[in-house]
Parts: sequence; structure tokens; C-alpha cells
Amino acid sequence: MPQFMLLLYDNPNDWQKVSPEEMQKALEKYMAWARKPFVVDSKRLANDAGKVMRSSGGARQTTDGPYSEAKEVLGGYYTIEAADYQDAVSKAQDHPHLEHAGVLVVRQTWTA
Amino acid sequence: MTDDAAAHSTLIEHLFRHQAGRVVARLTRLLGPANVELAEDAVQEALVRAVQTWPYQGVPDNAAGWIYKVAHHIAIDIVRRDRTFSAKSDAIVAELLRSGTVSADPAAVDQQIRDDELRMILMCCHPEVSADARVALSLKIIGGFSVREIARAFLSDEAAIAQRIVRAKRQIRERQLTLDLPSGADLAHRLDSALDVIYLMFNEGYSAHEGAALVRQDLCVEALRLGRIVADSPLAEPRVHALVALMALQAARFPARVDAGGDLVPLEEQDRSRWDQALIALGFRHFDRSMAGDRVSPFHVQAAIAATYARALSDDAVDWHVIVDLYDQLLAIHPSPIVVLNRAVAVSRLHGAAAGLAALDPLINDPLLRHYHLLMSVRGQLLLGVGRRAEARAAFEAALACECSDPERRLLERKLALC
Repeated sequence: MPQFMLLLYDNPNDWQKVSPEEMQKALEKYMAWARKPFVVDSKRLANDAGKVMRSSGGARQTTDGPYSEAKEVLGGYYTIEAADYQDAVSKAQDHPHLEHAGVLVVRQTWTA
Repeated sequence: MTDDAAAHSTLIEHLFRHQAGRVVARLTRLLGPANVELAEDAVQEALVRAVQTWPYQGVPDNAAGWIYKVAHHIAIDIVRRDRTFSAKSDAIVAELLRSGTVSADPAAVDQQIRDDELRMILMCCHPEVSADARVALSLKIIGGFSVREIARAFLSDEAAIAQRIVRAKRQIRERQLTLDLPSGADLAHRLDSALDVIYLMFNEGYSAHEGAALVRQDLCVEALRLGRIVADSPLAEPRVHALVALMALQAARFPARVDAGGDLVPLEEQDRSRWDQALIALGFRHFDRSMAGDRVSPFHVQAAIAATYARALSDDAVDWHVIVDLYDQLLAIHPSPIVVLNRAVAVSRLHGAAAGLAALDPLINDPLLRHYHLLMSVRGQLLLGVGRRAEARAAFEAALACECSDPERRLLERKLALC
């Protein structure tokens, strides 16, 4: 079965005004989704912008990540199994991230 | 996600809300009451981290302990960054480090948290805090409710509630209120203030004038929780147990108060098998403990009324003699129009609708009660009982003209149809 990555983007500041009870309710939905049988793997990314490395004229350049100015940051990802893009999108359709003003990016992993 | 993580993914109901209150109480104890907002910020941030982490890594084994520890770490970072702590910073950080190391003895942690919460309750309900802010402040700080949730429960707007809370926090700072436990002559006064706040919170939820039913029921649950913290503390006096008994016995009826269609079911028509037996048992345990001592508080009498209903196996088996006697007692020590109203209902059950109507007389010409829908609704019911249909119709119509919730409105319309 082909695998797809679901990249979860959101604005971390959006959670600042959410009440504890609402956060728990949201969390429970996320957890319930993550228990679906087609979910293979998941990982959270650290809460920083990361580093971007480039080579310029033979010299390595490392800068802070591109996210510091962006409203939405990549918070984590899930790997899921799906037949094709259509199936992957339909499986992600009810992801609670979409209810919380988040954005999902779906990418198929390469298999030869 | 591994199977292991998935296995631990259920959370105790209201864990975040309750844990927020507990950890804010703990941190405020260490940071000082003037910094309660800083404690709230640290806890909020810890919860945000949970929401950002657990969906990917799973819920940790000890979710409550995780929130507790992470909030402590965040508080340490805040104190280190914040210059206002300057000289005291090292000492506070040391205290936070010690407190943040979860003890191996869960009973000791539990005891500590209860003590923190008790002190916080007494501070939020301090007579020096504006009376109109005490409930909101308690819900916000101890209950873990957001301003929006409090506003929804109070049918008020967010800005007004936020302002009340800001003012209360300023009073805590300016009047230098502490988390010290009151003693001696001060104790009774402080305890009464706390009990009043808790009862007000319960009633706010129980009366359900209108608005979102669910969040209002949460107020009752929170009031009961706060009452139990005080009742289980060394400060408990018999009237604290009476209040907890009263709240538990009334809350026990929640499952039977509304039918499948969302309509209100009057007490006499409720299916008693749906009453919450665990809450009834809790109520009676505290009712027994309220009997110590010889001062009879209004809470004692009200608890006795609720206990009389709870003891009866059916509505027909309710001992109306006892109920009327208890309302007479309550009227003597704590007179109010609502007591007169409830007494009139009991009198009508004992001596008939005509006697009930006569008992309502003192209220009829009170201009303050002209817009009180329950009075008009009870009057309509009693008028119907003595066959004065036209007047009954007028009373129900007057009740419908008052502010009331949708379920109450439907109940009134059903009664109006009988006229």
C-alpha cells in the first residue's frame, strides 16, 4: 500500500485563547483520529523555526528557518497508508486539525 | 503512533480544567498571590504544549503529572526572565524546582494539592474581593474556566467578565491578600463568604434561566467539587457538610430533570430511578456529618428538604408534613420570596391548591416579583387546581412574558394548553 505524509501546519498562537476544557476536547479528537488503522507513524516537530542550510559560492551557509515570519508553522506529521491521493485526501477529510484552523498538506512518499 | 501510546490515550473527564486549577493554585502558592496571572500563563502554556505534542507522541502515562511538571518548568523560565523577581528569583526557582519534582508518594502530593486549592478558594472568596467578582474569579482561577465559558454561563458578555476578574486580581494585589488559612474569629466570616460563593455558583448553574445547558451544569459540578474540598478540610464545620449535602442531593436529579426531547420534567413527574445514586449516597454521608453541633444554618434546613425528597420512594410517598415544617423553619431563619414560593407548593400538596394559593398571597403584590416566571407558573398551576381556568391562563401567559429558557417555555406552553 502506498504511503502518504500528512503535514500539519498551524499557528501556535491560536491555542493561547482556548480554554482548558476546549483543549482537552480538541486533543481527544486528535487522539481518536491518530488511532485509525491506516496511521503508520507520527512525529511532532520542535517548536522552533529550525535551520536552513545552503551552499553559496562553495561556502556553507546556515540560517534560521523560514518560519519566523510565517503565521503557520509545520507542527508535525502523520504517515498514513492509502491507495492513491483521492483515498488519502478522503481519509484526512475528518482530521480535527481542519476544525482548528489548521492546514493539512498531503504528499505521497516515493516508491519505485 | 505505537500501540503502546494508543492504549494510554483516554483522559479523565475535565482533566485539563481541574488540573489547570490545581497547578495554578500550587504555582501561586510559590510565586505569591500578586503573581497569580503568571501562574495562569505557565499552566496555559503547559496545556498548549500537551495539545501540540500528545496527538503525535501519545498521552503520557501520568498525564496530570506531565502537566504539573511542564508548568513548573515554564514557571521557572518565566521567573528567570522576569526582572521584577530580582533578589528573590533564586529562592523562588529553588522552590519551584523542589515542587516540580513529583514526589514518589501520591498521597502526599494529593494532600498538598488539596491544601493549595483550599487556600485558593478562601482567597478568591475573600470578603475584600468585590462580591460580584468572587464567583467569576473562583471559576477562572480554581475552576480552570475561560472568560468566554464564564460569560456564557452567566449570560454576560466577555468584556464585562474579563473586567470583573481584572478588578478582583487588582484587589488581591493592592489589599495584599494572602493564601494563609484564616483562624479564630476570622474563620467563621471567611468560611461563610466561601460557602456563599459556592452556593451562588451552584444556583447559577442549577436555575438554568436560559442559555447553554451544558456549561451551566458544569457550574454545579464545579461548585460541588469546591464544596467537597472545603468539607474534607480541617476547616469544615457542620454547615459546610450541610451545603455539600444540599448540592449533591439536588445534583443527583440532573439525569431526570430533562427528558429525551430536551423538555423539563417537574420534580413530581421525574423518574426517580434515573436519579444519580452515587450523588445521593454522597449527599447523605455529608448530611449525617452536618448533624454535629447545634447551630442550624439555612443550608441545614435546605439539605433536610432535599433529603426528604430523596428518601421518598415515589412522589406520593413524600412526607409533605415534614417538608412544610422545614419550609416554616427556613422562612424563620432565612426569609425570601423563593422560600415563600416553594413553601406554597408544599402547602398545596399537603392541604390542597386553595391553601397553596393562600400561601402565595404575600408575593402577589410584590412589584419585584412581577417578572418572576416561576411565581406566575406556580400560581397558574394552583389556579388550575381550584378550577379558575381563566385566571390560570392569565398567569401562564404572564409567566411566558417573562425571561425563561426554551425548555421552561415549552413546559409553560404545555400547561397553558390545559387551561
